[in-house]
Amino acid sequence: MLDANKLEILTESAKYDVSCSSSGSNRVNRGGGLGNGSVGGLCHSFTPDGRCISLLKILMSNECIYDCEYCPNRKSADVPRARVTPDEICELVINFYRRNYIEGLFLSSAVFENPNRTMELLCETVIKLRKVYNFNGYIHLKGIPHADETLVFKAARLVDRMSYNIELPSEKSLKMLAPQKTKQSLLLPMKNLRDAITYDKENKVRQNRVLPAGQTTQMIIGASPETDGQILQLTESLYRNMGLKRVYYSSYIPVVQSNKLPAVGAGLLREHRLYQADWLIRYYGFDVAEIVGEGENLSYEYDPKCAWALRNMHLFPVEVNTAPLATLLRVPGIGAKSAYKIIEARKFSKLDFDNLAKMRIVLKRAKHFITCGGKFYGSESLSQVQTALLLDGKNEVTEQLSMFSNSTVALSALTGEV
Amino acid sequence: MKIFICDGTCDSFFSAVFDAYFQTDCIITSDSEVQLALDSQIVKVETDLEKSRRIQRGIQRYDVEGVPDVVSVLRSCDGLKEQIAFEYIKLVFERKAAIKKAYNLPQVIEFNDILYKVTGETHRMKGFLRFMESSSGALYAPYSPDNDITDLLMPHFAERFASEKFVIHDLKRKLAGMYDGHSWVIAHVGEAEVYLSEYEKTFETLWKCYYNAVNIKSRPHEKQMKGYMPVRYWKFLPEKN
Repeated sequence: MLDANKLEILTESAKYDVSCSSSGSNRVNRGGGLGNGSVGGLCHSFTPDGRCISLLKILMSNECIYDCEYCPNRKSADVPRARVTPDEICELVINFYRRNYIEGLFLSSAVFENPNRTMELLCETVIKLRKVYNFNGYIHLKGIPHADETLVFKAARLVDRMSYNIELPSEKSLKMLAPQKTKQSLLLPMKNLRDAITYDKENKVRQNRVLPAGQTTQMIIGASPETDGQILQLTESLYRNMGLKRVYYSSYIPVVQSNKLPAVGAGLLREHRLYQADWLIRYYGFDVAEIVGEGENLSYEYDPKCAWALRNMHLFPVEVNTAPLATLLRVPGIGAKSAYKIIEARKFSKLDFDNLAKMRIVLKRAKHFITCGGKFYGSESLSQVQTALLLDGKNEVTEQLSMFSNSTVALSALTGEV
Repeated sequence: MKIFICDGTCDSFFSAVFDAYFQTDCIITSDSEVQLALDSQIVKVETDLEKSRRIQRGIQRYDVEGVPDVVSVLRSCDGLKEQIAFEYIKLVFERKAAIKKAYNLPQVIEFNDILYKVTGETHRMKGFLRFMESSSGALYAPYSPDNDITDLLMPHFAERFASEKFVIHDLKRKLAGMYDGHSWVIAHVGEAEVYLSEYEKTFETLWKCYYNAVNIKSRPHEKQMKGYMPVRYWKFLPEKN
């Protein structure tokens, strides 16, 4: 059985990976096995840093042959090392799962010996879990760059989600900080998996579908000089061309001393703003070009939707009783849930401000951008609106700022709603 | 004013709705210690399955989700649940339509608030419920939820733990959902004596170790943790004890 010391080392090494979502898979519990998928995802606990625990997030080993500058497990780092066997992992997963501690496994690893050997053992673990232990719960597997494609596909037909972390937002930064990984070694398997997912979907493959919960990726923000504009353009193409379910941002924390890295962290506000912009791209119908220019950074003072609205005051105010969904979604302060409620409620009767307040639609920001039955309760001049939103924004930063939360966050969003 | 007192079952409530429907000034409650006004007159509701069926059929005509929604609301710990459900049903009949999405009407807001609390707690408990392994290998999960949700949780765990045997025990209501590997039942169970398996302590310790290690100490955010995982649920979480 796995001992506590090893578990601690391999958890400490894995915890900076942001992704913890367990959503998107409706895998059923076949043949009297253990576990199933829960499409909306489930959180099983929350840690004092405010993050949810959904999956057992662990490395198979933290003994790495690579020497990526930013990584606490890089070859040249002086840290305690450990490795576990596939059986030890399986046993832990099964026993945690039966006690309802976890929703499944997030398995990753440092690259030990060589990429193929690492991928082989990850594969073996997954095969054992599914075939020997008859486990049908959620599995998220990290892809090992440079590993053989047949191994990758063997695993992809058994797990729910895979992720290749692109690590840094440009090829140049990758070359500088993670010289042993190439852009090609990360993007090529992503592309191949995307094609396989599309094929399975088009041909209505039911059994052993490739990655029913799709792919995700992660990049470090603030360890390299890219602007928010560049980062979000990359994000947009990952969503639209690569078909990813989520892009995670991890604001750089200086755990490692290096002259190639900045001495201070990127700060949580930047990460927060990027997630807000990410939401606008995925759920609110925005293009990156509308949110931020290529060479620019997102505003610290205003959230990206407010900033956009202030630049486009000629489009407002909009009438809540007639505006289409796409327009309502662009009103600052009105989230996806509120917009949906408005659309449904106005089929029954005309809405006034009082109604909106009762429906718990937050009007603090929205009132400057809407009319209800022709009536307007906001401020007339642009500068007054700017000041009002700025004060409001200050509140938001102190109160709501967190690693993942976002003004539209719902419980399900924490689990990585797809 | 007439006060209709029902016995807490769904059929009793729907019978009360039938009896109270044409009264101008009345309330329905299952709380026998209800505050009485000076002019109030107590009516003890007699459960009548035919009346209950007629009300349910009536709701179903306009809204297929109506009856299950009302049944969920009746599991709430809110003392006004019967009255709020009654107002909601009256509105369905008055409008002759599904009104669930009329988000601006006060009756609908009150009803949906309670409904959300019940379904929300059910969702949370799918994550926060903790089983321990007994010496026989069966799993046992004690908890005390705000609302009466044990039979809403049973299908989820019966599917997930299809080949296990398990018990979900609501200590507050002295109810237990029991699954034997094939089907489940709900029964009244006061106290349970559980002999733990010899591995239980080991895995509980490993879990606590994992919980502590996965936390990023340089980014504390207790407020958010407590927002998503309310302190009243901690009692049954090994990682918080």
